[in-house]
Amino acid sequence: MVKLGKNMRSVSIVGVGCTPFKDFEDHPETQGIGEGEAFGYAALEAIADAGLEPRDVDFFYHGAANPYLINDCITPNMQVADWFGMRAKASVHHSEACCTGYVALEQAVMAVASGTYDVVLSGAVDLASTLPVEHMPSHVRQDFPLEVMIPSLDKIYDRAYGRPLDGAFGVSFDNWINEYSMIYDLDADKIDDALNGLTKSLRRGAVANPLAYYETTVEQDAAEMGFDSADEYLKSMYNPKVTQYLRVTGFEKKCDGAAAIVVMPTEKAKAMGVPHTPIEVLGTGASAVEAGLVHNEHWATEVAAKQVYELTGVSPDEIDLFMCNDFFLASEICSAEECGYIPRGEAWKYAIEGRTAFDGDKPINPHGGRCNFGHAHGASGIADIYEAVKQMRGEAGATQMAKVPRTTFLRGFGGSQNVRCQILRTVE
Amino acid sequence: MQLDQMEPIVKKFYQGLEEGKLYGRRCLECGAVEFPPHLACNACGYHATEWCEVSGHGHLIDFTLPGPQNDKPYLREVGKYAYGAVELDEGPAYTYVIFGITKKKAKDIRARLIAGVKVGVHSKIIDRPGYKELCFELD
Ligand SMILES: [Zn+2]
Repeated sequence: MVKLGKNMRSVSIVGVGCTPFKDFEDHPETQGIGEGEAFGYAALEAIADAGLEPRDVDFFYHGAANPYLINDCITPNMQVADWFGMRAKASVHHSEACCTGYVALEQAVMAVASGTYDVVLSGAVDLASTLPVEHMPSHVRQDFPLEVMIPSLDKIYDRAYGRPLDGAFGVSFDNWINEYSMIYDLDADKIDDALNGLTKSLRRGAVANPLAYYETTVEQDAAEMGFDSADEYLKSMYNPKVTQYLRVTGFEKKCDGAAAIVVMPTEKAKAMGVPHTPIEVLGTGASAVEAGLVHNEHWATEVAAKQVYELTGVSPDEIDLFMCNDFFLASEICSAEECGYIPRGEAWKYAIEGRTAFDGDKPINPHGGRCNFGHAHGASGIADIYEAVKQMRGEAGATQMAKVPRTTFLRGFGGSQNVRCQILRTVE
Repeated sequence: MQLDQMEPIVKKFYQGLEEGKLYGRRCLECGAVEFPPHLACNACGYHATEWCEVSGHGHLIDFTLPGPQNDKPYLREVGKYAYGAVELDEGPAYTYVIFGITKKKAKDIRARLIAGVKVGVHSKIIDRPGYKELCFELD
């Protein structure tokens, strides 16, 4: 395992911004908004949140999961700079599919920790509900049908072996929860109850969050469809299993969104007196294990979690909040245990008992996560960081955790599959 | 790097499948087999490997059954299948399509795996448009 070195200087998050995660074409306020404007809105919010103006930002990172298909461009950083007053300043684009937003934090921290830049913005955008139209201005959008979406997902898997031998895509959805269910000898019904428990908790958080995709609880959906209970509805033909373990509600809710953060040296933030308590980035553990390899998500999460704990000296029992990319919902159960947030073999019970809800004693993804807050692929990781920072400031509104978290663990995951494990801590 | 020091690895792997041969690369330092083959050794991080053949026999680590989201009709035409992790007798592990696992048999196979019983598998090469696909089936 690679041993990480300490940063040359401490770096903190001082500003965050996040657009609603919705289908922009469905809302009159956002209908016609393109990637440049969406990134610009998130970036300007983050800059203002830091008490700065665009002129104060030295450099920016641009992230998107799949810019060629979803943004109709190949140099997206060039195409967003002017939207938030960064013309002629340096920038770079990166793309790690659904892990983009966590890499965004890692890279921005490194740029500041090295001493090269003082104030760095890192943002990401994906308008994933609809598609752009070639040769038309950016406000013109078209449908993004499954016939186009499904084949495009294949492109994240290894072209030499993973894709042509059909293993990578085939195992990717269920392999970790299957391994988990074998270790603890849990039958399909127990896993199903656990995943449905997560859905109920996460949806409650999403519905109470004005930025989230969903606006009705599972209980309301169930009543609307004539069911007596949420559980009956979740187990019904209206929510079928689409892989061995995952129902429709166990998959991401694809949507539009952009999010951004501003980082600077912690000492500079203290000296300037930025408007909000700085949130220090204690470290990032990183690993990438291709999807065709055995138990790739488990493997990479184990490596990255060990790395960040070793680097930071933080103990798992100090973690107050766990954020996790859960586009395959079962990831929450497996990764929360692997990262030491919940005792091994227990997370499935916590899920059934609702203990991982924003108002439970072990919150995971209080904003609802990828299946309920919504998934704007590359931007989602930064939306997780946005939520973590808001919780840590005590500014998370209706879904604020009872005990304001001081230490947050982020488990980023995506792109067949990159993993980042990051620990954030409030600067006292 | 000069031209005479290079050769296509992936192409030879798939040409091997055409002839029913499974080509891997053996590490010149630790002896681990890279399968499917790559240039360097991922077991120990040594730079050099050489061609070798593997038997195509191994055992199942675990498996999952396809649902509507990850079912491939062209695989179903060949037979009932699952997606699984296989460790070859020579050591390397990777994920493949596993034929011979039906919904009916799945419970029993899973119980055997949980009990630590070795479930043997062997290679089964199927036709795809333009190439041969390496799959496995239960012994
Ligand atoms: Zn070796």
